[in-house]
Amino acid sequence: MNLEKVVFGFFVVLAATLNFGFFIGDISRPELHNQYELYAAVVVNLIATVLKFGDRTQIGAVHLATSLVADLQLIGAASMWVYADHISSAGLTAGWTASIVSLSAGALVANIISVVLLVVETTSSHRG
Amino acid sequence: MTTRLRALWHDLVPRDERRGRRAALRLSASSTARSAEAIFLVLRRMRTPLIALIVVFAVSTLGLTLIPGQDADGNPVEMSFFDAFYVISYTATTIGFGEIPNPFTYGQRLWVTFSIYLSVIGWAYAIGSLLALLRDRAFRAALARQHFTRKVARLREPFLLIAGYGRTGELLGRSIDGLGRRFVVVDHAPERIDDLELDSYAADVPGLTGDARDPGNLAVAGLDHPSCVAVVALTDDEEANLAVVMAAALLRPDLPVIARVTSPVIAERMRAFGNPSTVNPLDRFGDHLRLALRAPAAYQLLTWLEAGPGAELPDRGSPPRDGHWVVVGYGRLGRELTRDLRAEGLAVTVIDPGPDDPDAAADRELVVGDGSDPAVLGDVDLEHAVGFLAGTDNDTTNLSLVAAARRINPELFVGARQNSAANAPLFTAMELDALLVPAEVIAHEVYAQLSTPLLWRFLRHLPSQDDAWAAEVLGRLVGLCGTRLQTLWKVRLTPDEAPAVQGWLETGGARLGDLLRNPEDRDKALHAVPLLVLRGDEATAAPDEDFVLAPGDELLLAGWSAAERALTTMLQVEAVHEYVLTGRRVPASWIWRKLTSTERT
Repeated sequence: MNLEKVVFGFFVVLAATLNFGFFIGDISRPELHNQYELYAAVVVNLIATVLKFGDRTQIGAVHLATSLVADLQLIGAASMWVYADHISSAGLTAGWTASIVSLSAGALVANIISVVLLVVETTSSHRG
Repeated sequence: MTTRLRALWHDLVPRDERRGRRAALRLSASSTARSAEAIFLVLRRMRTPLIALIVVFAVSTLGLTLIPGQDADGNPVEMSFFDAFYVISYTATTIGFGEIPNPFTYGQRLWVTFSIYLSVIGWAYAIGSLLALLRDRAFRAALARQHFTRKVARLREPFLLIAGYGRTGELLGRSIDGLGRRFVVVDHAPERIDDLELDSYAADVPGLTGDARDPGNLAVAGLDHPSCVAVVALTDDEEANLAVVMAAALLRPDLPVIARVTSPVIAERMRAFGNPSTVNPLDRFGDHLRLALRAPAAYQLLTWLEAGPGAELPDRGSPPRDGHWVVVGYGRLGRELTRDLRAEGLAVTVIDPGPDDPDAAADRELVVGDGSDPAVLGDVDLEHAVGFLAGTDNDTTNLSLVAAARRINPELFVGARQNSAANAPLFTAMELDALLVPAEVIAHEVYAQLSTPLLWRFLRHLPSQDDAWAAEVLGRLVGLCGTRLQTLWKVRLTPDEAPAVQGWLETGGARLGDLLRNPEDRDKALHAVPLLVLRGDEATAAPDEDFVLAPGDELLLAGWSAAERALTTMLQVEAVHEYVLTGRRVPASWIWRKLTSTERT
């Protein structure tokens, strides 16, 4: 067992699960989507991205790319929340919530690809 | 010359070329990947500091949103994520805008105090790691390599690739730079590459710290670059020179290669790869000494022209032609000199403490003993000798030998070998009649081969000429241009480069003397001396005034750079040429030509 692999797998999977947890629920109802969960998803995704730095293999490059996509979408969702909450006069309406959650759904797809890659990588590695 | 060569070679061996090219491309690709690897390493090493920073920010922000605050009316409010992130961002970066949106409660202040210390540590760690990485040797080497690769790839003018930038490389580099040509340097010593920046070259010289034996380094240095015109191997390691010759011959069979070599075995091994030009300083010194014995003026002319632009006229030494010579040191140099001197019919006595060569033991004239021992010097009858050569590989020994020999016989012709550049002032102070400095011999020789093919042809022609001829050429050069060598340049009388004189050349009466006149005042001679005329494959050294030129001739001239400019104008502007030829001022502009022609009619 390799501690580095454990940490890597942990963060990749946690990023995906947090993202899913935020996404699940009726898309337009703000009370079903917890802002702390979104915050945790952003932070864990950033950490997962940094963990993927400096891998020269092809699969490593795709890993990094999916993480960057997820970051982009989640940060977009968070910025939208800030806008809706602080700047928009209407506040966090159903429309805003739907936009935020759909952005996080996009990030979820990227995170699922990341997890699939992780699984593929694990199963294709030979046990020595 | 190179393009012609390359065209020829395209026709002859296209398949080989493609193979060589592909190999070279692969090489440079792999070495680029190697420099990228270092960047990946850096990214990998930045992982921990970056994660630490993210965690510090995340924890501080989260804490601030969880701790209840108060608004102006005392109602409890929670900070939003955005407010918390904003506060932590300016606090962590020590900007500190204050407590917003509402003054903090004590609980919040407690947390912010904690966050300040946490974030300062986080930043210090991240920035410290980044700075350490920037100073990291591997990272800097990778950056320097990338910078170098870019610079070489961007070179658009023809350049030389010099492997080994020691004393010889520096001397050669200066002459090449004086000619206005570019070159690229590879050397394994970082301090030599640093010296490149201190040396005042007119052009920017890209330098790579790396082993020249590695073909990847040579590829990065432009071995596979289309503008690379020649490869020069000047390292002090014979094996490395051989490796450079091999790499050049296999990857770019079209390029001329010049290599420094002292051992005949290595020279033979180099010859297995194409036909590199090898320069053996010891061998050259012997040849020069023979030339100096036979034709002092020719030797003087040779050394002057080889020394490159700006060189002072060297003194004309006159080694004694008959008598008895003493050579100390029977190493490679001693053997070479003894053979050359004996070939000139001189009697030679050799002193060596213990020659390892079995042939040497059979030499009747060999005295076994330490040359620096006064008793041994007394044995060889120095009082009646005419020449003395100190050729050991130790500078101190050589200097003391020269001093001892001079004391015994002040009339001696004395020569010595200087091994280290640092001892140059001592050898200069000794005022030797002949001094071998291997670095200079090689640099001059390589310069002569590379500057223009015509000069190399002229110099090779020199030894076969007699002394009076050389003295006459030398007299003309000194008379016109003074005792400091100015410029050497080449003129091609082709329709492209000399359009104004084509008609004149075709008359068949184009005397060289008529061309070399001052375009300001035709009664004065141009400050230039023709050294060589090349017509097809036939060369005429030092043609006189009555030499008849033909279209397509190539001329090598020595003289002032003003004369070079004047001659170029003369060959391209018809009015100037007309004046030089006939003394008639012809209007150069179209209007004046029209006006004068109507006046005449």
